[in-house]
Amino acid sequence: MDKKTLETKNVSIEFPGVKALDDVNFKVSTGEIRAVIGANGAGKSTLMKVLAGANPTYTGDVFLNGNKVELRSPVDAKKLGIQIVYQEVDSALVPTLSVAENIMINELVMSKGVRMPWKQVREEARKALARLDINDIDVRTLIQNLTLAQKQMVLIARAVRVNCNFLILDEPTAPLSTAETEKLFEIVTRLRDTEQIAVIFISHRLDEILRICEKYTVMRNGKIVGEADITPKTTTKEIVEMMLGRSFEETFQKTPCPIGDDILKVEHLSGGNGKLHDISLHVRKGEIVGIAGLVGAGKSELLKTLFAAYKMTEGKITLNGKELKMRNPADAVKEGLALVPEERRKEGVLVNETVSFNLSAANLGDFCVASFVDRRKVRDNAKKYVDSLEIKTPTINQKVRNLSGGNQQKVAVGKWLAANSEVYMFDEPTKGVDVGAKKDIFRLINDIAARGKGVIYASCENSELLSLTDRIYVMYSGRIVAELETKEANDNRVMNFSVGGTEDDSRKETVKAN
Amino acid sequence: MSGTQTLAAANSTAKKTNIGKFLIDWAAVIALVACIIAFSVLSGKSFASTSNLINILRAMAINTVFGIAATVTMAPDGFDMSAATLASCSAYAFVSGYLWFGFSTLGSVLFCIVVTLVMYQLTMFLIIVCRIPDMLATCALMFVHQGLGQWYIGGGAVSTGMKTSWGADPARTKLGTSFSAIGRAPWIIIIMFACVGVAYVFLNFTKQGRFLYAMGGNKEAAKLSGIDVKKYRYLAGMITAVFIAVGGILVSSRGSSAQVMCCDDYLMPSLAAVFVGRTVGGAEKVNAIGTLVGSALVSTLENGLTILAVPYYVLPAVKGAVLALALIAAYATKKED
Repeated sequence: MDKKTLETKNVSIEFPGVKALDDVNFKVSTGEIRAVIGANGAGKSTLMKVLAGANPTYTGDVFLNGNKVELRSPVDAKKLGIQIVYQEVDSALVPTLSVAENIMINELVMSKGVRMPWKQVREEARKALARLDINDIDVRTLIQNLTLAQKQMVLIARAVRVNCNFLILDEPTAPLSTAETEKLFEIVTRLRDTEQIAVIFISHRLDEILRICEKYTVMRNGKIVGEADITPKTTTKEIVEMMLGRSFEETFQKTPCPIGDDILKVEHLSGGNGKLHDISLHVRKGEIVGIAGLVGAGKSELLKTLFAAYKMTEGKITLNGKELKMRNPADAVKEGLALVPEERRKEGVLVNETVSFNLSAANLGDFCVASFVDRRKVRDNAKKYVDSLEIKTPTINQKVRNLSGGNQQKVAVGKWLAANSEVYMFDEPTKGVDVGAKKDIFRLINDIAARGKGVIYASCENSELLSLTDRIYVMYSGRIVAELETKEANDNRVMNFSVGGTEDDSRKETVKAN
Repeated sequence: MSGTQTLAAANSTAKKTNIGKFLIDWAAVIALVACIIAFSVLSGKSFASTSNLINILRAMAINTVFGIAATVTMAPDGFDMSAATLASCSAYAFVSGYLWFGFSTLGSVLFCIVVTLVMYQLTMFLIIVCRIPDMLATCALMFVHQGLGQWYIGGGAVSTGMKTSWGADPARTKLGTSFSAIGRAPWIIIIMFACVGVAYVFLNFTKQGRFLYAMGGNKEAAKLSGIDVKKYRYLAGMITAVFIAVGGILVSSRGSSAQVMCCDDYLMPSLAAVFVGRTVGGAEKVNAIGTLVGSALVSTLENGLTILAVPYYVLPAVKGAVLALALIAAYATKKED
């Protein structure tokens, strides 16, 4: 059988302010499983979206079997035999319809006539699943009753059913268990061998990639920085080095503060909607503790569980020697915990309320006389924090939705400063924030630690963790896999643990680095 | 040159949107004023007189009180379809307390409020403990209220000259002056304004009120700010229940009896008043003053059109049109964001 090839030449994409893809030359041919690797924001997903026709604004050329093609819509891509299964499987399926209807949905939409050809639809769907050797899904089940892994299989079955030469899987294994991952690998290998399909496989788990892929492509800052065959000699170490490169961001100068006794202690915590397993950590007074890990490692779940927004199924949390029994975030706030969540606009601030109300929302009771809000106190409090945090707003009565991202984040932090909590938790606080505001936020967090509070700082930007924190826990698949003193850590070590590497790999690394 | 022109153009568009925003923000008030002027011109003294003003206020009182109940529920983004059917139960409790058990007027009022609060526990149980969406839970409760209420009154009205539902002689056979005064001017009007005032102060000047609005704006962010969202949803429910009870009392005092399902028809008009009032003053959320304005607008229209001899059976169409216009003002402009 002839090999089919898909090739991009000098493909670039520019979003306002950033070059998401920079002259990318990428080639893949049928019968191989190709890994595309890169840190968060490296441009993997952007490139895959170009191939799937979901990024129509690209410049440069795409060639299929040597002929120039235009991928300006998902329909274009599908016609050319390029299919993609996104990570968010739920957005591509109709939960209230059956498996059969979901597999055949494209045909049903295109079909004419009014009669629903149930028999035919089920038969075709059954065949599609059988082709992938999937026997445990009944085509009459509703999608909403399937597990996440099964939904993924349904999507793959739909993608490869007709005319598929190139299948893109965007981080398919991130939410899967080990057994489910095995099953997926079987299917992927089968597609390569018997169906002659090229599978482009995006993953952060390097051990998996080494197992099933033939070749890998590493991306960084929108460019392809390396490409090589996978041989038994390939190690995660060399890939990690390529992912990181040697370019470091300008670092923030942390003012060291004296570190005291344990303030927060977490022992054997599990929960967070089943995403967290046996987590133990501790935070000391005046210490900034980093939580590293890639997207999906469980950092947000951990912070939300500590804040009692998610249920803790096992374990013990102690604050200043007292065991905490919290039912909801309201209890957590009473105990002295504060959380600045990742989804700022959705969770961190009340966008339709004023700056002044937001800055008092966490402890409005302190500004009240017998339940009646003392407006002067609220105003004074707001003025104080608008000044000290340099929040750029025309007046304190401005609605928060009209502020810039960085200033919204300052409001989200400011409300907890007013509440005078004991332990402050930050979840990706610099996401979508410009450089100036980023520095302000770092300084702010540094000041909080200097006041003898405990700080937990979760981020997937390792350079931030390395410049701001005293100690770093690395998370991988809902577990803490390493604890590092920041002084002794470097980007390579942290990244190595983040992708499931072992101490051995990283030790060699450190020796080499020294 | 072109720079200044663009600037001037930008300025004028900004002004235009400002004027547009002003018109939309105050649409309900402008409409109310326009109605008053139009009816005064068309009908002269028969509309623009003190006695007719009192007519209008009296007519809108009950609807406003139910509107206030809905306002408090909707501030934290709740909803109560069963408010009116529960109010019928409150009315049965109030009149039966007075006639059957011989409580004083004040005693009957308290009895009615307690019964309503107790019955509202069921609503709160379904919404907070069982986590059923408000709309669905209260939809089911509508029927529960109707059935339970009529079982209590034995299927017939509670009024003077009737035996109790278990066939005994009632403790009273006549309604006293204080009982009847509640439903007449000036008391019914005073009670209406008191309810609006209490809700206004509660929602705008107390911690609890601000928390309810915060929940309505974004429940997740409110929760992660440490607001105990279940507790405050419960609080909103209890306050709503008190206003529902007041509404039921007004209806039965005004009607000198508690007729079967006497309050059920107030649900939609009261919700209409709340929706009309949502945009008043650019609040963009349900608010007590807005509800008062909305209710006044509907009542003024009804009153004026009746004086103009428009048949009563056409009036619902007018009410509906007002609601539709208010919703257009609230939502058609939203798309621009």
